[in-house]
Amino acid sequence: MLKLRPALTIGLAAAFVTFLFGGWSIVVIGLLAGAMTGLNYGQRSLKRTPREIGQEAIVPGLVAAGMVVLGGVVFSYVVTPAVGKPLAYSLFLKFGKTAVRMDYFFVLMISIVAGVLLGALASWYMASIQGLPEHTRRARLIIVLVVFLLIFPFFEQITNMQWMAAVITVQIFILLALGLNIVVGYAGLLDLGYAAFFAIGAYTAGLLNSPQIDISWNFWLVIWIAAAVGSVAGLALGAPTLRLRGDYLAIVTLGFGEIVPVVFRNLITVTLREPITRICFVGCDPVKEVRNACLYACTGPLDLTAGEKGINPIGRPLIPFTPENLFGANYLPWYFLILVLILFSIFLIRRMHQSRIGRAWMAIREDELAASQMGIDPVKTKLMAFAMGATFSGFAGAFYGSYISAIFPGVFDFSVSVIVLCMVILGGLGNMVGVIIGGILIMGTDRLFLPQMATLLKGFMTATVLPNVSHPALRDFLTFSLDPIQFRLMLFGLVLVIMMIVRPEGLVPSAERRAELHAGDEAAGAPPLEAEVAAH
Amino acid sequence: MRIGQRVLLASVGIYLLLFFGPLAGFDLFRVIGEIANKPSTLLQQLLIGLANGSLLALIALGYTLVYGIIELVNFAHGDVYMLGAFMSLTVIGAFNVDKGSSPAIKATAIVVAFLSAVVFTAGVNALIERVAYRRLRNAPRLAVLISAIGMSFIVQNVGLFWGSLRAFFPIMGVNSAAPKAFPDLIGRIDVFKDILHIDVPIAFNTKDLLVIVMASVLMIGLRLFVQYTKLGKAMRATAENRDAAKIMGIDVDRVISFTFLLGGALAGAAGLLVGLYNNTAVFTMGFTAGLRAFTAAVVGGIGNITGAMLGGMLIGILAAFSDQYFSSRWTNAWVFAVLVMVMVFRPTGLLGESVGQKA
Repeated sequence: MLKLRPALTIGLAAAFVTFLFGGWSIVVIGLLAGAMTGLNYGQRSLKRTPREIGQEAIVPGLVAAGMVVLGGVVFSYVVTPAVGKPLAYSLFLKFGKTAVRMDYFFVLMISIVAGVLLGALASWYMASIQGLPEHTRRARLIIVLVVFLLIFPFFEQITNMQWMAAVITVQIFILLALGLNIVVGYAGLLDLGYAAFFAIGAYTAGLLNSPQIDISWNFWLVIWIAAAVGSVAGLALGAPTLRLRGDYLAIVTLGFGEIVPVVFRNLITVTLREPITRICFVGCDPVKEVRNACLYACTGPLDLTAGEKGINPIGRPLIPFTPENLFGANYLPWYFLILVLILFSIFLIRRMHQSRIGRAWMAIREDELAASQMGIDPVKTKLMAFAMGATFSGFAGAFYGSYISAIFPGVFDFSVSVIVLCMVILGGLGNMVGVIIGGILIMGTDRLFLPQMATLLKGFMTATVLPNVSHPALRDFLTFSLDPIQFRLMLFGLVLVIMMIVRPEGLVPSAERRAELHAGDEAAGAPPLEAEVAAH
Repeated sequence: MRIGQRVLLASVGIYLLLFFGPLAGFDLFRVIGEIANKPSTLLQQLLIGLANGSLLALIALGYTLVYGIIELVNFAHGDVYMLGAFMSLTVIGAFNVDKGSSPAIKATAIVVAFLSAVVFTAGVNALIERVAYRRLRNAPRLAVLISAIGMSFIVQNVGLFWGSLRAFFPIMGVNSAAPKAFPDLIGRIDVFKDILHIDVPIAFNTKDLLVIVMASVLMIGLRLFVQYTKLGKAMRATAENRDAAKIMGIDVDRVISFTFLLGGALAGAAGLLVGLYNNTAVFTMGFTAGLRAFTAAVVGGIGNITGAMLGGMLIGILAAFSDQYFSSRWTNAWVFAVLVMVMVFRPTGLLGESVGQKA
């Protein structure tokens, strides 16, 4: 008996995307939904050959992709007219500078067929490779993933989906979440000031590669310096605070996260004077700084960070033998650069996680006292976690500064720390796959769905609802008060609370975490056989 | 040897503070000069600090009560206080009073606003406990803390939404996120000069008086309540040892709910008072005030009622000093710096050691 519930759930979630975007997104989302379904069904049957597993997943894959397609059709024939847009908007292919306008119905047909076929195919393939031996399975998964990640941006460019800016932001936040995962997920230290390290990385890169204080070092050097400065900042914060217990540590890091943007906002008149020479004895006016030895910026105070105006412009990366404006308005080089950074970070973090220090982090998380009895130095281990987390944040900050080309102190406020925390918690503490999925969900919602939803809602209001509402107060309420963008932070709050109550281990939990949170709760634990097979 | 090290460390610290402090407005030589030139400003700032500090203390009490009883930093508390300000703003808006209305109407509006804000925030706070914390009572502590952070964001956005309801509450103004103008119902009559006819160089007006008196009454009332009533005793018992309290027949869930009610009520009162005092309310005010109040609770020794009052005053005075003598742009940084220092060097706070006082 085939269970279709997971496929229906995945399909529904994915159909929500095509319901909002329609058009070419049907192809991408159909493929992704199929792949997810395949992964889901493939895991559920371990005693058959890969071929059989794959065949069993075709129908669920078709179901999921079918729902995605349905969402796209609804978008075309219900949503689009309801928001008062013509049916043919923004559907053209773009090859370089030439754009080819296409018939709307034709595009819809192509994307429906491609979506369903790709969905079924992906489901079949993903399910079938689940039956392979572990190392082949992993290799195949990685190949599939890399192929998708390589093809997607070109597809996006040609079909003019306008997703790239959001995708790169999602990638930056994934890098941040990977770093925070070390601190919160592996070492179990709640860091609420993580945005501070992001800011430190960005400002380091900004100062060293901009006209602000007239230094323009190469991006490829600056990004390493930013990472190093980030890790030093992590050590500096960690050293005095790591004796504190969980919630006190959280508050102190929160305070740190609040101070750092204030510092960057206010370092606009910097002068350093030696204090002892300024001590004034009887007979001199202390207000008029009588004698002082000026050490730095003596001719006039130095504007280090430009306050609210921010540092602008920050230099872009240059690659030898390529055009100088390679990293210009085009998104593709940025996409691949951050992708490489993420892959590099995943590689490093994986190695660390499996090494002595990674095991020490988890030991500290589980039981600090027992770990220290086993010869693990808790202070050193925690400091290492803070420093490593901050390093990746520094990376992300340097990339962010160069990508946006301007940084402002207001960007790095508490909500950034909470969003990153939200990503880690939604995906699953301590599991990199989970963290990446959580990142895609959270930031994808924030940067893609909500803006699109706001646009559609606005169109829906003006085109469909408002003509039928005459009461002035109600009209004002409908047009002004219901704005999904404005309440985006509420979404993150809801995610945090609901996840903590319903599923504290996250969507894709790590095995240890699941066992720990559901100790004695047999229904949720994996059956022994499956766990054993999965371990091999 | 150890003393030598400490002295060395302390002097290095002081030197660094003097060296880098001026970057953040802490220019000791200039500050001393300014104080010496005009000492009355110092007194004036002390007074402003006391008024702001008593408001902070009211909020800090909410943190300290909750922390004392379930060892949770209730992140949402600052935002509950913000809701209190919004509730009283809405009520006062409904009365349609402003500066020129007759005193009787003003007084009625204030009393009704006070009652509704207090009841509302108490209810909201208890609801938050019921929804977000109760089910996590036996979960790891970080889980509850994360839930509290989430709740804080939710409540803050409820405030933002409330602020956007200009269609129903005209007093909310045109822009949803911008600070709301809170009607000035108290007025600024100088107590010394105009009422008592004493000539002193500092200004102490009716607003300061109202805030300080109200806050003191509430705080003393709370202190007496916790000390002498049966429910207060139950709260102290629960704080001391939850399991033992349960064995003794105390309904722990009810006591915890009641603690949240109490904290929320104080936050609502603070919300109204701050609206009357500063004549402005904005949906982010809960976050900043919450952090300052939490700092106050920690400085005083978290879980300790008297400590929260003391800490609130100290942080209020520090903030006033920083605004006047350092630089108002750096005030938050100084407050957080104090928080970090206290957490690192004396996590128990000033009065935190006597566990018997924990309530």
